[in-house]
Amino acid sequence: MTGQDGDPGPALQPIPYRLRWRPEGIFPGAHPGRGEGTEGEFRRHVGLLRHPDPRRIDLRASLRDPFGELHVRQFAPRRAVPVVALVDLSGSMGFGGAVTGRVADLCAVVALSAMRSGDSFALFGADARLREEATIPLGRRRGIEAEVARVLRAVRPRGRGAAGLLEAAERLPARRALVFLVSDFLMPAEETERLLAALWRHDVIPVVVRDSAMEHDLPNWGFIEVGDLETGVSRLVFMHPGLQRRWRIAARERRAALDALFARRGLRAFELEDALDTDALARRLMEG
Amino acid sequence: MSELPAFWARLFGGWGVDHPFVLMLLALALLPLFATAFRRRPVPALVLVPDDVTSRAVGWLLRAAGMLALAALVLGLAGLHRREQSIQRVGTGAHLVLLLDRSSSMDNSFAGRAPAGDQESKSTAARRLLGDFVARRPHDRIGVSAFSTSPMPVLPLTDHHDVVQAAIAAIDRPGLAFTDVGRGLALALAGFAGDTTDASRAVLLVSDGAALIDRRVQEALRDAAARTPVHLYWLFLRSRGSPGIFDVPPPGEDTPQANPERHLHLFLQSLGVPYRAFEATSPEAVAQAIADIDRQETRPIRYIERVPRRDLARMAFAIAAVAVGLLLLAKLAERDLASHAAAVRAQGGRAPVREAA
Repeated sequence: MTGQDGDPGPALQPIPYRLRWRPEGIFPGAHPGRGEGTEGEFRRHVGLLRHPDPRRIDLRASLRDPFGELHVRQFAPRRAVPVVALVDLSGSMGFGGAVTGRVADLCAVVALSAMRSGDSFALFGADARLREEATIPLGRRRGIEAEVARVLRAVRPRGRGAAGLLEAAERLPARRALVFLVSDFLMPAEETERLLAALWRHDVIPVVVRDSAMEHDLPNWGFIEVGDLETGVSRLVFMHPGLQRRWRIAARERRAALDALFARRGLRAFELEDALDTDALARRLMEG
Repeated sequence: MSELPAFWARLFGGWGVDHPFVLMLLALALLPLFATAFRRRPVPALVLVPDDVTSRAVGWLLRAAGMLALAALVLGLAGLHRREQSIQRVGTGAHLVLLLDRSSSMDNSFAGRAPAGDQESKSTAARRLLGDFVARRPHDRIGVSAFSTSPMPVLPLTDHHDVVQAAIAAIDRPGLAFTDVGRGLALALAGFAGDTTDASRAVLLVSDGAALIDRRVQEALRDAAARTPVHLYWLFLRSRGSPGIFDVPPPGEDTPQANPERHLHLFLQSLGVPYRAFEATSPEAVAQAIADIDRQETRPIRYIERVPRRDLARMAFAIAAVAVGLLLLAKLAERDLASHAAAVRAQGGRAPVREAA
């Protein structure tokens, strides 16, 4: 958990993350990249003739070689990777203070971690259109996490649909980036598919925002007048155990369908339910 | 086509309100269609909430209860009532004129003496039995006439049976002198003059004797009987020793002067209307004769029933109370969707759940 207000500073701990892919580019960073570098993560030994760099001759390996060949160490270059948070700011994300609460926490942690790893971070917030006031361009300056938290705590989720996310997808860097796609994914499956297709170039980590009030904390009996946060349509619901059971089954099916949709694209979602669990996020990111 | 307006009038004609302007507030009854008694709880999307038939039904029920409550309250405030009404009903009965003999001989017992001890005079017996008779026939319209030296109109045909009972109760007052049956009958038949309904009509003549009928009166009676078809019943309270109406006296004595009762009987038979005579020599025989008449006069009859004004405001308020109670129960059963989660977040000092935009 982070601090209460816009200053998450001292309580925020950066978390390490690992990529399953080798980033391209020229910016030095913390991730083993493509191509050959002179320091960083050891990759293999090659002959001196293949890699004529006498500074990297590994004496021990060369002496051990019964054929007396000279071995040169090769390293993977350390590269920086752009880290982007795409945040759905449609009306439904306002439920339970998701954006101002756990989503802001998550983005701040990711921003801090990116900054500490030497990666650049960008934030894009979008509802039906891209929200400029909730957008921070790529950068790796200090204190970006505070800025991210401040922006997200100030923003008010509104509007219908998440078409702006597609717009945001076009503004991502042209090289492969690590993208945190933060949404409740309540849009139609086709729209989710379209969005994921638009993000084909990037390593997407879908962050599914949920609220236990909509699934686990349902009352057994009673009347609830539910109003859609996006469309404003309201309906009276008479809760009874049968409806509660069907409600939960529907939620489970929705979750399974969403997971299946992600799995078809080789993605695995991170569940953001009720509060940010930093350890779970770290575990998920270290798993790659 | 003419049935429909009549039906409409019957359904809505009798209603009324004390303060018609209050009825304008009835528009408020539409409010529950647009507003709800519950607080809106925001949810991310309605697709998360499964569709439920029960919820729909209960929702409409509550909406209907709200509309009913408002409408009933307004109607109650406006002072809804049913106006006094006269309803035409169909029952069994007849239009009946009781023609009562008020001659002084009616004050005697059946033995022809002044009643002594537990003996009943003829008029008392007639009063008691006629009273029961009238009480048994609630749908009859009954008129009362009396005759003695001259005919006396007592009551025209009427529905008010308490008046009829009072008139019958008065026949055991001490009687007058003579018996003028002919003009009494003429009066009784004239009682039907304004009666144009198709109900069965009957004249019940109660007497203990008869007298000569004048020729002119006879002609007038034949005339009246031809114009007014009635059933004629003669309840002859025969004193002991007096000649019966069915006995044929020896020839030579069979004159109207000697046997006025028998000759009245013959005259009534000759009128050409349905006629029956009952000769009663005791109160029991009178009772039997009256029961017989009771059985005979059971044709369907249209009669008017008065229904007094009924105040319905109290009922309207009761209905409103029930409906409001239903709404109150529902309101008390209102639950918050995210009570637990919101409480946890509130402890954590998070931003509160915002209402929908």
